[in-house]
Amino acid sequence: MDSVNNVKSSSHRIRNSIATIIGFVVLAGCATNAPQDTWQPKGDNAQIINNLQWIVFPMAGVVGVLVLGFYAYTIYKYNDRGQPIPSQSHGKPIVEIILTIIPALILTVVGVFTFRGIFELANTEDTEMVINVTGQQWWWEYDYPAQDEQGITQPIISSGQLVIPVGTKVLLRETSRDVIHSYWIPALNGKKDAVPGRINLLRLQADKPGIFAGQCTEFCGLSHANMRMEAIALSQEDFAKWVANQQKAYTAPATGSLAKEGESVFLNQCIRCHQVNGLKKADGTPALAAPDENVYSGAAPNLSHLMSRITFAGAKFDLLNKSCRSDVWDASSETIGGKYLAGVSESCLNATHLRAWLRNAPAMKPMYADPAKLASSGGKYRGMPNLGLTETDIDKLVAYLLTLK
Amino acid sequence: MITPGSKYFFGLTGLSLIAAILYMVLVNPNDLGAVALFGLATSGALIGVMALFTRDGDVYTDEEAVAANAVAGPPSFWPIVFALGAALVLTGLATVSVVFILGIAVLIGGGVEWTIHNWADGASSDREFNEFARARAISAIEYPGLAAVGLGVIAFFFSRVVLAVSKESGPIIFIAVAAVIFTIGVLIASKPFMKGAVTVVVAVFAVVALAGAGTFAALSGERHELAAAAEEDHYDASHRECGGEESKHYDHLANNTVSLRSAVTATIFVKDGKVYAEAIGMTKKVDTITIPRSNATSVMFRNLDEEQHRLVVNLGSAKVAETGVVEKVGTCSQLTGKNQEQVMTLRIPKPALAGEPYSFTVPGATGEIKLVVP
Ligand code: HEC
Ligand SMILES: [Cu+2]
Repeated sequence: MDSVNNVKSSSHRIRNSIATIIGFVVLAGCATNAPQDTWQPKGDNAQIINNLQWIVFPMAGVVGVLVLGFYAYTIYKYNDRGQPIPSQSHGKPIVEIILTIIPALILTVVGVFTFRGIFELANTEDTEMVINVTGQQWWWEYDYPAQDEQGITQPIISSGQLVIPVGTKVLLRETSRDVIHSYWIPALNGKKDAVPGRINLLRLQADKPGIFAGQCTEFCGLSHANMRMEAIALSQEDFAKWVANQQKAYTAPATGSLAKEGESVFLNQCIRCHQVNGLKKADGTPALAAPDENVYSGAAPNLSHLMSRITFAGAKFDLLNKSCRSDVWDASSETIGGKYLAGVSESCLNATHLRAWLRNAPAMKPMYADPAKLASSGGKYRGMPNLGLTETDIDKLVAYLLTLK
Repeated sequence: MITPGSKYFFGLTGLSLIAAILYMVLVNPNDLGAVALFGLATSGALIGVMALFTRDGDVYTDEEAVAANAVAGPPSFWPIVFALGAALVLTGLATVSVVFILGIAVLIGGGVEWTIHNWADGASSDREFNEFARARAISAIEYPGLAAVGLGVIAFFFSRVVLAVSKESGPIIFIAVAAVIFTIGVLIASKPFMKGAVTVVVAVFAVVALAGAGTFAALSGERHELAAAAEEDHYDASHRECGGEESKHYDHLANNTVSLRSAVTATIFVKDGKVYAEAIGMTKKVDTITIPRSNATSVMFRNLDEEQHRLVVNLGSAKVAETGVVEKVGTCSQLTGKNQEQVMTLRIPKPALAGEPYSFTVPGATGEIKLVVP
């Protein structure tokens, strides 16, 4: 009697724990704060993918359950309990034919929908706006070629945060400066590799204003995990304001201000990598960055309008402090545009992280920026090195960077 | 019993271990070379143990194997070939690399033949069976090997012939020869009595003819245009030509069609004397091409006009370091004829200065395409 009870209770325990595990797995799928959830499309292209998932996954689920069930049944039924071995036969044409035809039919259905999806996603005929996206270790550069229809009369260059107008069919022309990266904003579309020497096209379209997170999805070296990005969708009017701001000419800080001193630190320390459009050297000639001479990928983020973005260094760190950040990120789709366009003000600046970055960038984000170990990259940094700045220099630089709106 | 096969691999293990240690001491302890040698040692040991465990894959029990080993096979000449290979390798190291490569080939070929010969000798106590076993094992390697060499020889000689004859007659010769080969093949296949001696005669005759023609062609030199094109080194610094001038040979002869592994960002056309451009992903014609800073980017040029044209890119001006003279910076494609294309790959590290925008132009045609590097 005792032993029977024991068996029962242990099988109960197994059943309970299995139920618990399944429960956890199911619940894990319900996370609400999952900005990179492929099941929550926020635009046409992602919707195409989502529709396909809703066809393929249930079918695969049914097949999986049937096959596993049949498998379990067979194991149970034909378990060796000492019964005689049943007669053995080889092949049964009718079963074989059925088992060939059914998968073929299933695959045909899946295939038809998949190909339709692929072709829909590949359509670029009705593009309304083009943005060049260039990946490099470990951040994304965006440049907007001049496009009169979008009010972009001068090319715009930015990094980390991709700003697009809602309801517009945006075409990304992706490439890379060093290794293969992959651009992925799950809420707006699938992944597309950015391959050096090639131009790959990826379409994005957002239904409503909002911030959509993404990350590089092709392993690209040390800081691959820190190579993030965001797509910011703005209403048409807000986008026009954003464009106007990006095309605004450079205004030098007032003479005698802390920011003005920051400008000259910048000219000494930073201009060799970072371009600020319109910045002039002390002698009045244009200051041109030479990232090709200093950085392995040949590029460093253009800082002309740094404070119009709200994250930096591959969207890894916030430029906004905690409360200002949640004010923007948690805003409704009606108000988010205005809040985003406000950019980063002195009172909202996340000075801790920005100062830490200027103090010692490689300590914040792993990069091959140790001067002693540059043999493999021809003496060039991968990423931003530690420049050994003094705290006063950092004060000046922060004041200056705050003017780059 | 330690089997002969495993001995070989254990030997390899020992040798590569010693080599690895020597390499680490004498050359560089942190280098990939040492890792490779240790890897070789490990894999040698692994295969050795496997060979030992499976008794070299020999199905014969010990006694049979002993009996089989007792009969000596016919003497083999492969060791001599192997030695010749070694000699060639050493000579090659001291003289020309071709000899070295030939030596390696002979070493590998001779080694494989020798190994299989040896293995077959010990297969059983029946000499005839051993011979059969050897033939079976080796033909799997010999036939493809010889076929590859044969094809290589044919391709080499035939290519000499095609390079020497004119552009027009090349395809005709190609077709004619192929037709003859096909006919003979059909004949041999359909008339079984023709096999054997006749086939051999035909094959030998064909090879001799091909070798003769190839040698003759190689000696008489490549066809006129090819020789001329090689002579006129377009990339020579003294040979810059970005204006309206025409080239003697090269531009006419380039086939001017392009296949690229890298994608072109835009294509620039000339039609009816006017320049226009299309860019990937853009639905309308563009008058500006934007390319990322310091990233190699390719632009295609396609000429749709009767006259020859070339694409010129103007990249501002710069001071020449030695002389201090300010000169225009830029480059151009070769001249291209009607419906032909050229690709230009640009890597521009800096944006243009305000007064000197970058642009693409085509001498002899109107219009320009702005080039923006943000
Ligand atoms: C040797 C080149 C180099 C120098 C010099 C340099 N940087 Fe950087 N910087 C980089 C690179 C590369 C990145 C991108 C790093 C990443 O996100 O992975 C970067 C990123 C940044 C970012 C984040 C930008 C964004 O949009 O994400 C800021 C801000 C910045 N640098 C400021 C400065 C300042 C200020 C100086 C001068 C004190 C400076 N940098 C000097 C190479 C350099
Ligand atoms: Cu990446």
